Amino acid sequence: MKQTKYVLSGGLAFAEEKDMKQLRKLSNDGWHVSGFKFMGYTLKKGESADYIYSVDYRSLKDMEAEEYFEFFASSGWTHISSEGSIHLFRALPGTKPIYSDRETTAEKHVNSIKSMRWLVISMVFLTVFACLGALISTGTLQMVFNILAVVFLIVAIPASWTLIATYSNKWTAEGRKGLVTVVKALPIVFLLFVVLIIFQVFESISYSVSILAAMLIGGIVAPMIIWVIMSLYIRVRGNN
Amino acid sequence: MKTTEQLTDSMFYIMSALTKPRHGYAIMSLIEERTDGAITIGPASMYTIIKKLLKHEWIYLYDDSDPRRKTYLLTEKGKDVLKADVSLRKVMIQLAEIGLKEAEE
Repeated sequence: MKQTKYVLSGGLAFAEEKDMKQLRKLSNDGWHVSGFKFMGYTLKKGESADYIYSVDYRSLKDMEAEEYFEFFASSGWTHISSEGSIHLFRALPGTKPIYSDRETTAEKHVNSIKSMRWLVISMVFLTVFACLGALISTGTLQMVFNILAVVFLIVAIPASWTLIATYSNKWTAEGRKGLVTVVKALPIVFLLFVVLIIFQVFESISYSVSILAAMLIGGIVAPMIIWVIMSLYIRVRGNN
Repeated sequence: MKTTEQLTDSMFYIMSALTKPRHGYAIMSLIEERTDGAITIGPASMYTIIKKLLKHEWIYLYDDSDPRRKTYLLTEKGKDVLKADVSLRKVMIQLAEIGLKEAEE
């Protein structure tokens, strides 16, 4: 019987609550989370117990960490593991939640927005820059710009998607329903846009448009393929 | 002194507990105790607000000899902000009480 296993995360920005519920269910089955691992969590086999889980996002300086974790410990939340500025805690059911009001719950998401905003902005900027380069250059240089654009886009799309999801979490906490609905409609708008571009490719309007279409599709499909392979791999290995 | 924004409820509770030097856990349990458990503050909310109050200079770090249990205290500025907010909240209560009395007549 294996003593450790791995479960995939739904992505904290997209499915934090679902992840925390899953961890609780696993604890009931005797599998307790012990830390973060690439795109998921590691679990250790133990006695079955009912635990609730919470995550907080905060970049801590050396001098701050002790006090921060002491706040949680004295409220009944055991610190399990941290990965960068993400901190995972566990408590017995009935323990008061780590956030007790709407204002600070919204700020929780501001912390993670701050940590990724610049990455996303620079990736989008680099993508646009490479696309423009590809449009105005010819020959080998155009080729180089095209490759760069694809590479940047593959990072930029999931990164922007995560940032948008985090903004949506913040707006949910603030009770701004209108904005949340807009965000939920975004994937559909995006899909329509892609379909439109593909349609134009069949009309073969221009070379650069078809390149752009290929890049967009690549930017969405590549992360999805990685995701599917990861989940399949884990499922197959988990059954052995 | 005029404040530009009203304090959030949680900021109000925490500032009310920092009229004497106290550390995080002491603040949380004091609030719970004095309100008979009607009001509780979660640790993450607590930490967020302590940082914010420090930034506004409404509280200051009173003693950090024990890094796990740093104590904080209201500044003069913080005391003024709290007093102004108390008066505003009194007006709020009065407004509602007059209204409710009116409804009973």
